[in-house]
Amino acid sequence: MSMQDTILSVDRLTVRFDASPPLLQRLLTGAGRRAVHAVEEVDFEIGRGSTFALVGESGCGKSTIARTIAGIQPPTTGAVSFMGVDISGFRTRHAALPYRRNLQMIFQDPYASLNPRWRVGRIVAEPILTHKLMTSGAALTERIAELLSVVGLSPADARKFPHQFSGGQRQRISIARALASNPAFIVCDEPTSALDVSVQAQILNLMKKLQRELGLTYLLISHNLAVVAHMADRMGVMYLGRLVEQGDAGQILERPLHPYTRLLLDTVPDPRAPNRSRARLSGEVPSPLAPPSGCAFHPRCPLANERCSREPPQPIRVGAAWVSCHAVEEGRLPSPTRENDQRPARTGDAA
Amino acid sequence: MSLTGVRHTAAEWWQSDIAYRFRRSPIAILAALVGLALLAAALGADALAPYDAFDPAAANAADARLPPGSEGLFGDYYLLGTDPQGRDMLSAMLFGLRTSLLVGLASVMAAGVAGVLLGLVAGYFGGILDAIIMRAADVQLSFPAILIALLIDGVTRTVLPAELHQELAVPILVAAIAASFWVQYARTVRGLVLVERGREYVLAARVTGVSTARILLSHILPNTMGPVLVIATINLALAILTESTLSFLGVGLPPTQPSLGSLVRIGNEFVFSGDWWISALPGLLLVMLSLSVNIFGDWLRDALNPKLAT
Amino acid sequence: MSALLKVESLRVEIAARTRILTAIDEVSFEISEGEILGVVGESGAGKSVTGTAVLGLLEKPAYQAGGRILFGGQRIDTLGEDALRTLRGKEIAAVFQDPLTSLDPLMTIGDQLVETIQTHLPLKAGEALERAGQLLAEVGIPAPRERLRSYPHELSGGMRQRVVLALAFCCEPRLIIADEPTTALDVSIQAQILDLLRRMCRERGTAVMLVTHDMGVIAEATDRVAVMYAGRIVEIGPTATLLVGASHPYTRGLMASIPDMRRREVELTQIPGSMPRPDAPVSGCAFHPRCSIAEARCSVERPDDVVIGPSRVACWFAGDTSRSVAR
Repeated sequence: MSMQDTILSVDRLTVRFDASPPLLQRLLTGAGRRAVHAVEEVDFEIGRGSTFALVGESGCGKSTIARTIAGIQPPTTGAVSFMGVDISGFRTRHAALPYRRNLQMIFQDPYASLNPRWRVGRIVAEPILTHKLMTSGAALTERIAELLSVVGLSPADARKFPHQFSGGQRQRISIARALASNPAFIVCDEPTSALDVSVQAQILNLMKKLQRELGLTYLLISHNLAVVAHMADRMGVMYLGRLVEQGDAGQILERPLHPYTRLLLDTVPDPRAPNRSRARLSGEVPSPLAPPSGCAFHPRCPLANERCSREPPQPIRVGAAWVSCHAVEEGRLPSPTRENDQRPARTGDAA
Repeated sequence: MSLTGVRHTAAEWWQSDIAYRFRRSPIAILAALVGLALLAAALGADALAPYDAFDPAAANAADARLPPGSEGLFGDYYLLGTDPQGRDMLSAMLFGLRTSLLVGLASVMAAGVAGVLLGLVAGYFGGILDAIIMRAADVQLSFPAILIALLIDGVTRTVLPAELHQELAVPILVAAIAASFWVQYARTVRGLVLVERGREYVLAARVTGVSTARILLSHILPNTMGPVLVIATINLALAILTESTLSFLGVGLPPTQPSLGSLVRIGNEFVFSGDWWISALPGLLLVMLSLSVNIFGDWLRDALNPKLAT
Repeated sequence: MSALLKVESLRVEIAARTRILTAIDEVSFEISEGEILGVVGESGAGKSVTGTAVLGLLEKPAYQAGGRILFGGQRIDTLGEDALRTLRGKEIAAVFQDPLTSLDPLMTIGDQLVETIQTHLPLKAGEALERAGQLLAEVGIPAPRERLRSYPHELSGGMRQRVVLALAFCCEPRLIIADEPTTALDVSIQAQILDLLRRMCRERGTAVMLVTHDMGVIAEATDRVAVMYAGRIVEIGPTATLLVGASHPYTRGLMASIPDMRRREVELTQIPGSMPRPDAPVSGCAFHPRCSIAEARCSVERPDDVVIGPSRVACWFAGDTSRSVAR
């Protein structure tokens, strides 16, 4: 999985949260420590100037990965390296500053992601002042005006407070803030989930335009497969903390291999094809406190057999994608989406 | 700093929800006016008081315990009567009001600053710091505030020489009251910080690499100030009453420095002999003060609570 | 089929600080028995206000300023609070976005169901419990008997919304107002809940007003759909017709701005600008500043409803096929 110019690589990343009861209760009831398996051994790379999307249902670990990459959630094991530097190695805040200048994040909720007591100008100026890229003055004011114009707002908006704007306009402010330190990489955590569709289109178009003009790299976290189809070059599908399938977004959306990806795609309602009948993904995502043995998806999988409940599948390469599934490996996958697909080629370990 | 500054202009204030609600609430306006009038009276005590309440020479033993509206032996006119030492009640009350307000405001400030800082630290960092601060708060809460204040007063009285204690009476009293009030701020702020620290604007600042101190002071702190202001207002009334209670019990301020509480105490002995004004008038002033502050605090709480907003 | 719910020229106003704002205006629609009507629009378009008005739950400073609401031929917007409450429990049920607002955190699922059943049906405790168990089984909750003893926090979001549906169905209501019932859920769970809602309606002939911002949900579950914009219904018609061949330029723009899973475009069609807020109303047709086919007339005169086939459209150029919007 080598790329000419990899900007970010995630290597066997595992994040677990301590969900143990308090010490006293553990001592009294004899209960042991418990951990939420949020992210388990995830590997992927993102090429400069491209968009990589992570999709999955809530609780699958996609937002945790986003936060780990953004440096606000330490990994339990594994490594994240950004522009060739391991981000968990920073000893001081100062040492991390160059990485933080180059990596910014946009959040889901445009009503929570802007400090309600700050004027827009101050919000947008924060990254510039934090990284001492400029000092307060006419040049800074001009830069803020420029950033606001880039995202489609007026320079006069710098004097207003966030509550004076609509959801879509606030998301534009968030984008202006994220662009302020001239970053190379932006983590976008469900950037349009809280917006109305007509506004979503405006924001997605803006994000694409900025990517073209500034050569930005995006990590897009989304549960909306249509948004992913529109934005992503490559994508990864997550289930219960694991990456079950990753590769070229077009290929995965057109010819999904993993049974979970297939069912997920089938579940998405399509406004252009009302009332179509489809297969349903039954049951619910199991608790990440006690993930099922073997392949985590086996209790909901129509193709599961005894091996699936026993042995966790390893990623194998199929065309331009990597998929972790015994059924794919054994050729037990039903055919409809496979007619023009090559035979699964085993290439050993993916890591 | 017009572009990036935080300050609201006067026009923005006038347009804000809180100003609008204030304009529409006669009771809040009345409470604020009474409170401000009392504050002005306290600040202007030197100019307003007909006599110097601290000057033993001004007190005239012959004019002791005169009812309101009396004329003294030497032609002095006492609008609100005199106390057992022959001090003019009006002057004593004005200076007493000043002392009460001073102690109240200072202890609210001290408790507020300490409580807010401890709450910020406990809420943001969590872990062992949080455990220590919050357990201390729990212990603190299991004692009545007045007991803690009594304890501190008692300890300092034994440890410090009498003269020094007298001199430091006001700071000690302020510390004693503040020590029993910080918990409420700490708990409230901690709760708010737990919510705010997970909000996306704080995460955005962390991703950008803003220092922790800056995140706490310029992002989180301003967003917790509303509830803190409400507590401070309501606590101001409580602190004034606590000071009065302590002074009434005789452990607060020395008799040379009258507060409303000590004036009530002085008069207490004479209530049954018919000299009601010595106790009742400072008591009435105390009620007016704490009532106006409390009503304003209640209104502020309602006005800042978005759930009650229409 | 006769109309079970009939809303005629409904107008809701909000008494703001200094003036009166119009939240919804001239909203008219009908829902027949067993029919699911979707109400779709951007946030602030007035879709939730419409649902709230039908439920008689408008709260100060909002109030009904005109129009009539008829349920089963009887006017319900003039009923007193007591009569309304009886109606709401028995004939009209409500399901909201957050199941936790509809469930009492301190009562078990079973107790809540039994309480609701007994308020409206003359059943003994044992019978009511039996019925509660049946209902949970019907909404697809595994091990319903054990779940009767669970508290709401012990269930997942999808399970909670199933319980809310069971509560809504437990007195056999004739109409359900569902306000964004699946917005907080994952797509796979959302599909399960919508299937459930659809099945229950088919089986019992219950009418549903489904308020949502999601065109996917509309496509998935509704028979007819009303598109709201700035407090008015701009287009109403059968779902299949409307999604595939909408007549109003707003509906068309809305459909075009949804990314297509099967076709990757360089740029999505976007509607410029944003919807006017009630405190800054727009003259004439409220959509005209964002409309690509608007003419001088649109900014002055408000368009009346035009009937086009099975649909009703509020646009001056609705029937004019020569003015097609770029799609």
